[in-house]
Amino acid sequence: MQEYQFPNRPHFDLKFHPNMVYYALGVLVLLWLASGIYIVQPDEQAVVFRFGRSVSQEEPGLNYHFPRPIERVEIERVSEVKRIEIGFRTISVSPTPRYQKVAAEAMMLTGDENIVDVEMIVQYRIRDIRQYLFNVSEQAKAVHDVSEAALRHVIGQHTIDEALTEGKDQIQVEIQEQVQKVLDVYKVGVRIEQARLQTVSVPEEVDHAFKDVASAREDRERLKNEAEAYSNDIIPRKRGEAEKMLREADAYKIERVKRAQGDADRFLKVLTEYRKAKDVTETRLFLETMEKILPGMEKYIVDSDGKGGLLNVLQLQKQTPPPAPVPMPAPAAGGN
Amino acid sequence: MKNAMTLVVLLVAVGILIDAACFIVDERQQVVVTQLGQPVRTIQWPGLNFKIPFIQQLHIFDDRLLYSDTDPAQIYTQDKKNLIVDNFARWRIVDPLKFLVSMQNVSNAQSRLDDIIYSAVREELGRRTLAEIVASERENIMTAVTARSHADASPYGIEILDVRIKRADLPRENKANVFERMRAERARQAKEYRAEGEELALKIRAETDLEVTRITSEAFQKAQLTRGEGDAEALRIYADAFQRDPKFYEFQRTLEAYEKTLGEGTTMVLPSSSAFFKYLGKGK
Repeated sequence: MQEYQFPNRPHFDLKFHPNMVYYALGVLVLLWLASGIYIVQPDEQAVVFRFGRSVSQEEPGLNYHFPRPIERVEIERVSEVKRIEIGFRTISVSPTPRYQKVAAEAMMLTGDENIVDVEMIVQYRIRDIRQYLFNVSEQAKAVHDVSEAALRHVIGQHTIDEALTEGKDQIQVEIQEQVQKVLDVYKVGVRIEQARLQTVSVPEEVDHAFKDVASAREDRERLKNEAEAYSNDIIPRKRGEAEKMLREADAYKIERVKRAQGDADRFLKVLTEYRKAKDVTETRLFLETMEKILPGMEKYIVDSDGKGGLLNVLQLQKQTPPPAPVPMPAPAAGGN
Repeated sequence: MKNAMTLVVLLVAVGILIDAACFIVDERQQVVVTQLGQPVRTIQWPGLNFKIPFIQQLHIFDDRLLYSDTDPAQIYTQDKKNLIVDNFARWRIVDPLKFLVSMQNVSNAQSRLDDIIYSAVREELGRRTLAEIVASERENIMTAVTARSHADASPYGIEILDVRIKRADLPRENKANVFERMRAERARQAKEYRAEGEELALKIRAETDLEVTRITSEAFQKAQLTRGEGDAEALRIYADAFQRDPKFYEFQRTLEAYEKTLGEGTTMVLPSSSAFFKYLGKGK
């Protein structure tokens, strides 16, 4: 052996010493004791088991338990909000969220035996870590199953219109209460933070019919609005026309009265003067009128004393040829 | 050195012995101890326990609420409708000894539970109508199914805590009918909305027309009244004035009328005796 020894090789005394076993055992014991050091993160809680029985519950921080197999620890993230999805599954969150439909979960019967398509998420948190760890196997599945059952149960108690519109909040509350109630019976140790209906829609097969109802509702509003527009257009206009009619009547009245007043005033003025010289005025007025009207007229003067009547007609205006067939009224016509 | 080696060997031997003689029952476990096939002890509390090494054996069972999901099954409701029902059960082993004897293990128990629960579900749902199952009676059905299957399962050391109908859906071929009905219902609703729209529109238009007529005729009435007042007033004024001398009025008005009505184009036959020719005859 010595022949092959390298000169620079560090020299170890490989001679076995009985004390080394004790040292080794001592180191092993130390390592074993050190294996009981553990850290509970701020969002976690820990349960310490001594020989399988839970003995304490530890809060975040640096902690120590007796090493295995005497004690061991289980750590759960208690402040984390867990979530389950019904009717769909999130396949990836980033870069763009992608979802996959789970039709068998999403389609369900409503109370009025219609079919709706519902997607829901339920968020929950561990309320009691010991209950959560010890009481129920497959806790997340329990929450999922109970939520699915509750969703169908509650939707089954409502009509499709309630589920689609105004009843949504109420349904969510009922589901949350029911899920919590059943999970409390199971003693799962979780608190349901929220049951939220993501979408409530109608199956594709009847989608068109439902959309048509919406557009019919709009049609109703449109027809009503059009009629109201007609009303709003015509009534003020007609009111204006009515006002015009009234003012015209007022105008007529004023005109009528004022004219009458005028005529009356004129008459009275003339009458005053007429009364001062009745006969002369009367004659004058008569002759003046005749003067005005007779020039434009075609006149035939018959002698009231003669017997010929119209045969004695004198043609006063030469330029006009006598009418060929002389009108021959009855002889009596010439009489006064 | 010999002492040290002996110590190590001793430690290992003691370790193996302790390991064979001690066992830990976890919070989530329960254990039946058998000795040469014969059950001797049942441990349902967590902690450190001892057994005779190599002679006694452990049968470890879950102490938690277990899960059992049956495949969806077709059932008939009382009103002869077809439903696909999917339920799940939550159960636990309450008597591990009975369980060990009758079921041996959990997977045997699962299939036995399937049968028990399925028959209970079929029977309970068969007594009710579709509407009751979907809407009103669900809670009662689940309670009844749970009670019935629990009674059937308890001889096996099993407690069935809850049987829950997860889904109760119509089979595919019935869905088409439902969709047809839904469409018809919506079509009816759409018609109703449109007809309501027409109704409202006609009503509003008719009311508008009525209002227009009312406005116009009221205005006409008032206008005529005003005109009448005007006429009456005028009449009174004329009468008051002309009353002073009716004869003169007649004379004057007649002359005025002559002036307006007689004139150009009028042909008049006048007797020579008329007042106008009074002087004409004298000159002859």
